[in-house]
Amino acid sequence: MRRHLLIFVLWALGASQCWSEDFLGVPLLPGGKVTSWTNDKAEVHYALPYEQILEFYKSHFTDNRDVKFRDWKGETYIEDHGASPWHSVRISKGQPVVTVTITRDSWAWILGTLALRFISVFVVLMFLYIGLSISGTVMSRLVTEAD
Amino acid sequence: MSINELWDLALGMFYATGIWAINWKYPTMWAVAFFFLYLAIVKKFEPLLLLPIGFGIFLVNFPLVPLMGYNEEGVPHLIQFFYRYGLEWEIIPCVIFLGLGAMTDFGPLIANPKTLLIGAGAQLGVFVTFTGTVLAGFTLKEAASVGIIGGADGPTTIYLTQHLAPQLLGPNALAAYSYMAMVPLIQPPIMRLLTTREERLIRMKQLRPVSKRERILFPVIGAGIIAILVPAVMPLMGMFMLGNLMRESGVVSRLSDTAQNALMNIVTIFLGVSVGATMQADTFLSWKPLLIFGLGLVDFAVCTAGGILTVKVMNLFLKEKINPLIGSAGVSAVPMSARVSQIVGQQYDKKNHLLMHAMGPNLAGVIGSAAAAGMFIAMFD
Repeated sequence: MRRHLLIFVLWALGASQCWSEDFLGVPLLPGGKVTSWTNDKAEVHYALPYEQILEFYKSHFTDNRDVKFRDWKGETYIEDHGASPWHSVRISKGQPVVTVTITRDSWAWILGTLALRFISVFVVLMFLYIGLSISGTVMSRLVTEAD
Repeated sequence: MSINELWDLALGMFYATGIWAINWKYPTMWAVAFFFLYLAIVKKFEPLLLLPIGFGIFLVNFPLVPLMGYNEEGVPHLIQFFYRYGLEWEIIPCVIFLGLGAMTDFGPLIANPKTLLIGAGAQLGVFVTFTGTVLAGFTLKEAASVGIIGGADGPTTIYLTQHLAPQLLGPNALAAYSYMAMVPLIQPPIMRLLTTREERLIRMKQLRPVSKRERILFPVIGAGIIAILVPAVMPLMGMFMLGNLMRESGVVSRLSDTAQNALMNIVTIFLGVSVGATMQADTFLSWKPLLIFGLGLVDFAVCTAGGILTVKVMNLFLKEKINPLIGSAGVSAVPMSARVSQIVGQQYDKKNHLLMHAMGPNLAGVIGSAAAAGMFIAMFD
């Protein structure tokens, strides 16, 4: 309890620092503490419930079909597939502090994911290759034994 | 009846026609429709698809035509009905894959499974074009749907486009089928450019015979592996493997025959006319379709190069070399691109029969492009 109170006091003191209403067009819920603010990334800490922050972004993106919400184990990952300048919003599921991280769209992500998926196509067909090779060998042996 | 009443009647009749609503966009679309009808009827380029697509474009590009909208009670018009239940519900591409599976002999692929890797390498263009398409100003989902054109697989292109960017369905399907028909024009220069004379003369060992058991096992193993690794694409691949199992098992020849012929023909009609009908003047006449055709061509070229380069890399490690001319068959376009490998190979050695060897990467290309589509679906879903 005392720890939570201390965090809240520290929070209240720091919350007034450098506040902006949005980052790359993604709105920021008021009352957070900005811990990182660069050209490519913004990170804000909140002493609010995770559900409240998630609801804020859900209502904001409700009509945007290019925005996808993914519920991961430690965070909710919001990804933009449209032409917006931002790429993702991550909302951590931590307590008592929830971290919201917004990142700029980047070619590194696009090229990285494409390379990975191209390799994955090889992996899929490689598994099929292995499967066929094994079944081919087994079948050949069975035929030889039968003969 | 007074003259005024007669005039009102005539005016009412005139407004019930489409004449007053015709503008420059409609004749432009008729020209597009006639171009594809010309390709289908005169040039015999993929006529099974381009003919219904071309006529579908023609039919819907008249004012007031009740074909692609909804009536006052919200009931879909005729082609809208086909489109909604066939394409929006993603049924037709899957049924076509059932028929394709029933028509496909996987023997060459089973006999030489390492050609599967060529089918993977030939997807290079899909991913390269994705980048180019994003640079051209398309969204990521649109870029994925344009990229898959290079996989040279019509149903996969339609399936992915309908899933991710239905607004591009018409141009993407047209680009895919047009370039598939033009494989004999597009591929040979790239094949010559990327291979040496010595490589083109490589003769490959005759393929081993494949037992019936192996043929029956293939769709089961294939479906199992793909379901585990790329579940997103199972509506397509599941149907494909079911069709193949029906064919190879030999116990349901009636079903196999229906899937290959009657069913395939019926859905092809609905597919073609529905895809064509999506190309209404207001949505089609923009810069995007032109760009899609340009990017699609690059896509095909890079996919062809990807397949050939994959063979060259494989040859560095293989004792028995593979003729890189069969690499171009890694784009699916079954069996056209395999035939191109055969034709180009025989231009250098008349006794070198590459057709059956090229069928391996050709079939691998079908699986590879479906896998690539699955990767994109997983990326956005």
